[in-house]
Amino acid sequence: MRITPRLYSVLVLFAAWVILSFVFSPQILPGPIPVFEAVWENLASGDGLFHLYKTIFRVLLGLLLAMIIGSGFGIVMGISSRGEKFFESWVMVGLTIPAVVYAIITLLWFGLNDSAAVIAIGVTAFPAVAINMWQGVKDIDMQLIAMAKSFQVPRRDLIRKVVLPQTVPYILAATRYALGISWKIATTVELIGMSSGVGYMLNYWFGLFSMTQVLAWTVMFTLVLLGIEFLLINPFEKRVTAWRAVVQV
Amino acid sequence: MKKIIVRNLTKHFVLADGDRLAVIGGLTFDVEEGEFLSILGPSGCGKSTLLNILAGIDDVSSGEILVNERLFSRGDNGFRLGFVFQQPRLLNWRSVRENVTFPLEHRGLSKEEQGRLAQQYLDLVKLQGFEDYFPQQLSGGMQQRAAIARALAIEPEVLLMDEPFSSLDELTARKMRAELIRIWRETGKTIIFVTHDIFEAVYLSNRLLVVTERPARAYECVSVDVGYPRDYDDDRLFEIAKKVSRLFLKMEESHAA
Repeated sequence: MRITPRLYSVLVLFAAWVILSFVFSPQILPGPIPVFEAVWENLASGDGLFHLYKTIFRVLLGLLLAMIIGSGFGIVMGISSRGEKFFESWVMVGLTIPAVVYAIITLLWFGLNDSAAVIAIGVTAFPAVAINMWQGVKDIDMQLIAMAKSFQVPRRDLIRKVVLPQTVPYILAATRYALGISWKIATTVELIGMSSGVGYMLNYWFGLFSMTQVLAWTVMFTLVLLGIEFLLINPFEKRVTAWRAVVQV
Repeated sequence: MKKIIVRNLTKHFVLADGDRLAVIGGLTFDVEEGEFLSILGPSGCGKSTLLNILAGIDDVSSGEILVNERLFSRGDNGFRLGFVFQQPRLLNWRSVRENVTFPLEHRGLSKEEQGRLAQQYLDLVKLQGFEDYFPQQLSGGMQQRAAIARALAIEPEVLLMDEPFSSLDELTARKMRAELIRIWRETGKTIIFVTHDIFEAVYLSNRLLVVTERPARAYECVSVDVGYPRDYDDDRLFEIAKKVSRLFLKMEESHAA
């Protein structure tokens, strides 16, 4: 049931691509066949995997950093109204500053290396995490905590069994949101100042005016993203939110 | 033997602007072992706060509570206590059975023992067959029964109930009241039942404690000397309910004066 509209949307996009590729010249819009050939060549040569690996590595470390900083801010903002007032404007400012600014600043400060990329990603993505966690902490049901206290549930169990499960949907939303931001900022940093990664390769092929390779790298990138969504996040989400009611008796 | 003695209990909350809100103003009463005591009072009179204090959720401001002749202190009740709230307050991500075992899990019981207790009390509230459902798949009445099973499964010496049937429709509430009486007679627990529904209090309890508007004080005690099982249409219950209603009116008049 759910797969059908999704499948349709992919098919429609593909058909549009094929039709438009006949209208435009291959320099402007190459068809799917040369693009997927280029994807295959990139992967077969090992080059593709190396650059994908570099980008994934930076994204995951940056994401981890964003989750740690963002959760810290979010929890403090959710628990204390002073913390909320203290950090709110900074989180909002952090969210509005264009990612490319962080990219340039970190590259200037830390040099053209992986740490700069990871820090740029962490700093760019953390406000999104902070905002979700802030909301998550605020939405914790105090009545359930009172219930657990009345049954003299120890503090550790209370956090593990009552508080954490309530924040899971917010942690998932934060991860998803931050992951999307992380990919974008990662390619930007690579484009400006790295000598490896998907962003670097996009820039390289842009310099050679190869639309086919630019699209090939975009496709590779998208496949990795879909893989993470459908192989990791989606199954985890299904497992932890299985209790959401489907039927009422 | 008196089970619970409450002496000169007061409770105030400090509001955001620094003012004090007196919720309980010197409340004195006691509860016998195995008694079904209803606490009856106007909405917002501090009845729920009283239960929260007995459950260790809130602190007292002054006064004392003795349980089995031992001074009660928050965090160490010294006795096993079950609480049924106005809303079911179930953990939605746990199955019905796991909700009932929730207060058992830190008590050093084996998994088998927890499962046995859960099953025993789920059977008692007639939820057999629904053990593996999630709360949101059940009706409001069934959720409340699961919450009652959870409170009973720890085999409490004292059961606190805070308007547990007020969110149910009258027909379901009637069935639940009859079941509560049956369970109480089967298990012999001490029950403190808070409500603002006069007939509910009369129908259920041995004795009613009528409390005043906020800050709550004991206004009068009324015994209900009618044997169980009781009939909903019993005239003696109606007479007592009428008497309590008159008490309420008198209380309001004296309050207004």
